[in-house]
Amino acid sequence: MQKNTPSYFSNLKCRECGRLYPKQAIHVCDFDFGPLEAAYDYDAIKAALSREVIESRPKSMWRYRELLPIDGEPTVGTQVGFTPLVKADRLAAKLGIKALYIKNDTVNYPTLSFKDRVVSVALSRAKELGFKTVACASTGNLANSVAANAASAGLKSYVLIPADLEQGKVLGSLVYGTNVIGIHGAYDQVNRLCSEIAGKYGWGFVNVNLRPYYAEGSKSMGFEIMEQLGWRIPRHTVAPMASGSLLTKIHKAYGEFTKIGLVEDAKFSIYGAQATGCAPISHAMKKGTDIVKPVPKPDTIAKSLAIGTPADGYYAIHVMRQTGGTAEDVSDDEVIEGIKLLAEYAGIFAETAGGVTVACAKKLIEAGKIPRDEEAVLCITGHGLKTQEAIQGKCGTPRLIKPSLREFEEQIYLPDQAATAAKS
Amino acid sequence: MANDTSRLWLMYPTRLVTRPIIWELCKKFEVTTNLRQASVNEEVGLVCLELDGERTEIKRAIAWLEEIGVKVEPVEINTIEG
Repeated sequence: MQKNTPSYFSNLKCRECGRLYPKQAIHVCDFDFGPLEAAYDYDAIKAALSREVIESRPKSMWRYRELLPIDGEPTVGTQVGFTPLVKADRLAAKLGIKALYIKNDTVNYPTLSFKDRVVSVALSRAKELGFKTVACASTGNLANSVAANAASAGLKSYVLIPADLEQGKVLGSLVYGTNVIGIHGAYDQVNRLCSEIAGKYGWGFVNVNLRPYYAEGSKSMGFEIMEQLGWRIPRHTVAPMASGSLLTKIHKAYGEFTKIGLVEDAKFSIYGAQATGCAPISHAMKKGTDIVKPVPKPDTIAKSLAIGTPADGYYAIHVMRQTGGTAEDVSDDEVIEGIKLLAEYAGIFAETAGGVTVACAKKLIEAGKIPRDEEAVLCITGHGLKTQEAIQGKCGTPRLIKPSLREFEEQIYLPDQAATAAKS
Repeated sequence: MANDTSRLWLMYPTRLVTRPIIWELCKKFEVTTNLRQASVNEEVGLVCLELDGERTEIKRAIAWLEEIGVKVEPVEINTIEG
């Protein structure tokens, strides 16, 4: 990448009223409390950025640096992103669709989830803004990513977790030497405490006061999908929804590439996937309203998607409606089936959120909402090793034999099977 | 006593949609309420509210809201992610 790339990131802008704000650690409009998001000088980017320029750069999410909200060069997570876009022909045949692609963030660097994208941007910006301490509240992937990326960048980090979180999930943060703080209390109380801490101390809370920067990192998934497809927008995209942010940022990414002429303007539809045990956005979408009714007690194995009061639910609904997409939700049994389908037909082991996405795509295809003679991209956001307990006992057990050929032939690979295999 | 400002989303369940909760809040507690956004339908009410007052009074007001069944979140809504 060229040194001293100029910044095209101009302001923060209220998503509700459009008021402009300086590029500081703020996240809410003073007038209507609408969320702030990054705004750019697209004319200047159009003049500076081309497919050739991007292709000449290292294969990371930072090859789209002009469209990410930092002033200088990235300093944290410079190797994050550019994960494979896998053409999954066997899974396509199984689900009965012409073409299927898996955007495989299960192998994102360094912590095997798409959160490395958002954290990379949030912490690069945190350093530019002079923060020495960064923090987040998380039940898994985000905590791991903040801990790892802060460690490599030399930033002090705090990870806040609910006090009753399973120890196994805590280990993936503790190992990086972060400060893990367990908080007793209900979800709402923990939320308010985090917000108060972020307001009172000079910490960069990645998804509170650094939220406008953090959220923009998700766009890189959309940018990569278009480049890897040969510089075009896929007809159908299915993304998991927790807060709904990823879905809205993929939409923003498709729009930005179109605006600056890197891809042709084309019709596309975006679909959101949730688990039925916590599906506030999907339920609102299906009811035809944009008022998202909170889910007080989420109950699903897809814990990384279990956000009962999704901050971007309203905006996600508008994106789905505007693009002709829709939302779907699936039971925990279907989530497990989705994990197994992806593993058995595409060789990719995803966490429960991946199972949600695959299972919802299957339902959407079966219902004809995604036409069988078209193509779809599924966004798979985290590795299955992170949620192994969800499928424990659901994949069978190994068959045990003594170390004898006779026993092998009697119990495992019968001689007549061998003969059939030899003929074929 | 230190004065404080809290920016909150209140979410009313169906049974509370028709109750004048903000009026009751002003009567019961020494806080200034400033309504900034609201969406209400027959099933759910979402109200974005700024509360000004002594810190302890704001805490008491929030505790009362929760006691009657209103969900109270910071304006960020979810600060805990997966």
